[in-house]
Amino acid sequence: QCMSLSITPAQTAAWRKQIFEQLSERSKREMENFQHYEQAIEQSVWVKKGTM
Amino acid sequence: KRMADDKDVLRDVWYGRIPTCFTLYQDEITEREAEPYYLLLPRVSYITLVTDKVKKHFQKVMKQEDMEEMWFEYEGTPLKWHYPIGLLFDLHASNVALPWSITVHFKNFPERDLLHCPSNSLIEAHFMSTIKEADTLKHKGQVINDMQKKDHKQLWMGLQNDKFDQFWAMNRKLMEYPTEEGGFRYIPFRIYQTMSDRPFIQKLFRPVTAEGQSHTLGDLLKEVFPAAITNDDDQKKYQVVIHGIEPMLETPVQWLSEHLSYPDNFLHISVIPTPTD
Repeated sequence: QCMSLSITPAQTAAWRKQIFEQLSERSKREMENFQHYEQAIEQSVWVKKGTM
Repeated sequence: KRMADDKDVLRDVWYGRIPTCFTLYQDEITEREAEPYYLLLPRVSYITLVTDKVKKHFQKVMKQEDMEEMWFEYEGTPLKWHYPIGLLFDLHASNVALPWSITVHFKNFPERDLLHCPSNSLIEAHFMSTIKEADTLKHKGQVINDMQKKDHKQLWMGLQNDKFDQFWAMNRKLMEYPTEEGGFRYIPFRIYQTMSDRPFIQKLFRPVTAEGQSHTLGDLLKEVFPAAITNDDDQKKYQVVIHGIEPMLETPVQWLSEHLSYPDNFLHISVIPTPTD
């Protein structure tokens, strides 16, 4: 990954870490208590692949 | 514990769900009482694309002749189906208690506020034209134009059927750029506010400076919407929200574009007043 030299690794770590943390908070907030809700789009057979 | 990877961000974004309670508008004519309907809506999809179940549910208590085109409203605001669900929620309902409470209408279609959505092929056409616009900004349209019809279909089917791998196998091509350029030509983004005459702000903005430095989210806001980052006596006036999170202003826009764009390849950014309580 190319990353401009003007951004220090510490700064990079800070914004990246903050995004990971916030996304995980979001999952808790928006999904944790609502697992019993029906999905709008039914998943047919879901095969998880390691391609991405 | 494994270190989190940037690829995990793509999955988290894709699998974001909004728990939603659909309630029939009080003035709709029913034969018996209509129960509310609860559903998890995919943040990255479109509301008219994922609400067949809602329609079927209310059909059971209504007469066919009392049902015109279904449309949705949140606290008096008609919800635009051509905006992704996550954007509608961030813009109109951030910081409210979940589930998100949406009112369902079958009458008095608000012609001035909403486009009609007679079929999914209209959503597909809207989605594809937005992707094309994004690629015009990113690669002068060269990547999307080099794809075949079936490749376009793969992007759409991936979104419609909630197939992450199917979608990303094709979408990753739209995320490529020459290493020496450090990013796309321009970043496809739109900035939305609730109280505004304009639907959104969109300008040409490059991911790197002429000197090769990365532009950040802060740089972008400073240029196109400075009010979003002005502080009033150290009181933050606005929240800048993408996919329900507030990225730091130091986050490079190129990284945001690659990881937090919606499937239509745009960064949809909501600027909302900070809650006062």
